[in-house]
Amino acid sequence: MTNMRIRVVGDTLPGVDPNRPLLEVDDLHVEFRLRGVRIPAVRGASFKLELGRTLAIVGESGSGKSVTSQAVMGILDTPPARITRGEVRLQGVDLLALDEETRRSVRANHIAMVFQDALSALNPVWSVGFQIGELFRVHRGLSRAEAKTRAVELLDLVGIPDAKNRVGHYPHQFSGGMRQRVMIAMALALDPEILIADEPTTALDVTVQAQIMRLLKDIQNDRNMGLILITHDLGVVADVADDVAVMYAGEVVERAGIRDAFKRPAHPYTKALLRAIPRVDTIGQALEVIRGLPPNPASLPSGCPFHPRCFAAEDQCAEAVPPWLEPASGHGSRCHFAEEVYADER
Amino acid sequence: MGRYVIRRLLQALLTLGLVLFLMHWLMALSVQVRGNPARLFFGDRTPNAAALAQVEAMYNLDDSCYDRIGDPCVMPFVERLQAYAAGDFGTTLRGNRDVGELLAISIPNTLRLFAFSIITLVVLAMVFGSWAARHRGRLQDHAVRGGTILVDSVPVFLIMLIYTSLIAVPLTRWVRGIFGDEAAIGQLFRPTYDVDYPWMTIIIPGLLLGTAGLASMTRLVRASQLENYHADFVRTAHAKGLSRSRVARVHIVRNSLIPVVTAIGYNFAFILTGAVVTEGIVQIPGMGQLLWNALLTTEVSIVITSFVIIAVVVLAVNLLVDLLYAVLDPRIRYA
Repeated sequence: MTNMRIRVVGDTLPGVDPNRPLLEVDDLHVEFRLRGVRIPAVRGASFKLELGRTLAIVGESGSGKSVTSQAVMGILDTPPARITRGEVRLQGVDLLALDEETRRSVRANHIAMVFQDALSALNPVWSVGFQIGELFRVHRGLSRAEAKTRAVELLDLVGIPDAKNRVGHYPHQFSGGMRQRVMIAMALALDPEILIADEPTTALDVTVQAQIMRLLKDIQNDRNMGLILITHDLGVVADVADDVAVMYAGEVVERAGIRDAFKRPAHPYTKALLRAIPRVDTIGQALEVIRGLPPNPASLPSGCPFHPRCFAAEDQCAEAVPPWLEPASGHGSRCHFAEEVYADER
Repeated sequence: MGRYVIRRLLQALLTLGLVLFLMHWLMALSVQVRGNPARLFFGDRTPNAAALAQVEAMYNLDDSCYDRIGDPCVMPFVERLQAYAAGDFGTTLRGNRDVGELLAISIPNTLRLFAFSIITLVVLAMVFGSWAARHRGRLQDHAVRGGTILVDSVPVFLIMLIYTSLIAVPLTRWVRGIFGDEAAIGQLFRPTYDVDYPWMTIIIPGLLLGTAGLASMTRLVRASQLENYHADFVRTAHAKGLSRSRVARVHIVRNSLIPVVTAIGYNFAFILTGAVVTEGIVQIPGMGQLLWNALLTTEVSIVITSFVIIAVVVLAVNLLVDLLYAVLDPRIRYA
């Protein structure tokens, strides 16, 4: 691999061990406290990300995928949110245990984020050049003029035509796709090892979606970054991700390589999700849907939270919380019948 | 941007023209309905026609339109505008003094008073509002909200009276004891205005006047900042690894200035009413006092000119607010 870049996190974050995985999220628990009521938003999310790999976190709205990513970034609103358990390790360093200032330097320097709706995620009163340049001025101490030069380079990199002129423009003067490119440029500014993209294409139309995904993928290859792609759309994930973690009701219910997960899902929820993707060979037939609604996190069903909607549920699903089973190596599922679902017997 | 400025300027000029004309028409109507004010000149006596005509000519009341009820009196209006343009604002009925000269004394004093009170209002509201927003729902927040309401609920004239009659004299004595009788700082706490120290003796009255409307302004600052605290772009700013204070300064305060600027425009007219009382108590020879006395003594020229000036000032401030919008929000600038 000629384009493989060697990255040294330890230059700015002491204590890292380059032999450890780039990012490990281990048993993360996040709860919200609203008027004295504790609502669990994330109940034990675990996953791993290596340099150059892409992890897709898939789930319905309310499944805790965005909260998980914000917890990794350290930008949860606390209160009402609170991380109650778990670790987020960047090459072995637990980010949750860092002091506020070190933690802040990790953001943008090592982990950066692309948000869903670039129009509201960019400040309407500052030019895009200012908003990108701000990173260089604050983190690198560059002057206004130097920061602007860097901003032009970045806009150029993400494929914004006429970057030299566009750098002084404001977010509302860009089209949706171009705005998302600005967001990506901003996230890439300090050359982070990890890029988290939270539904980066949801607000865009389909052709632009493909361009943005392509751009993210190309940049990831060039820079050898770890990419976390958060989405509710399995279709978007299929071509770009290496691994997938499916979240439901605040927990990761299945984790596998992308091909394995698509070919032989080991959790009924994943299976149902895959069936719900419209396909050319099923034109004219009614689309399969998952019956029921996602559970209210304030009053989760007993046992397996998915059992009221599950096609394979039996009595024990309502009583016992399913264990984490691994029907194949590197392919785990939180289902009593993981083996059978994996073998397509259910 | 250029087109925006020109459009706003034209709008302001049009409004000013309308205001001037309306005011003129109202005055013409009052002459038409209530009778010829030139007769006042003669008191109880009945003047002969020639003398009356002479007085009418002196006060520009000789146009025949003043005899027809409802006639907008366009010709005298044009003459009035020409006179204004030439710097002629008429003379007073009593004493035959030049209104322009009276205004030249009053306007600077009132402007100084306004400057100090607007600065006080904005600074206090920004500081307290931001502080309350940052500590939302906690003791600081409640203290700010309660405190500003308390200050606001005491009428300005009462604050002013308490200051002049209870606090000013001992404070002045104390300051002069430290810095000596002749020090300029000794003038700061004088209970009344002094012609020799036109800046120093207006600071404190301006400050006190600035507390009028403090509660609503503080709440506005607080509310518009809170709105931004949870905005998506603020989350982005945090994700960029910016410090809390930078996020607050660059991304929250800056974005919440637009409603605040609007409110400053409104408050300007509000402070104007407070100025009449303040100038009376502290004896500042300003616009408020001039207008108040003119109303009591029916000095028509002063009243009309004062209203024109007030209209011009309010329009100018609103124009400034509109232009500030454009500076603060690029979405308006490039619309």
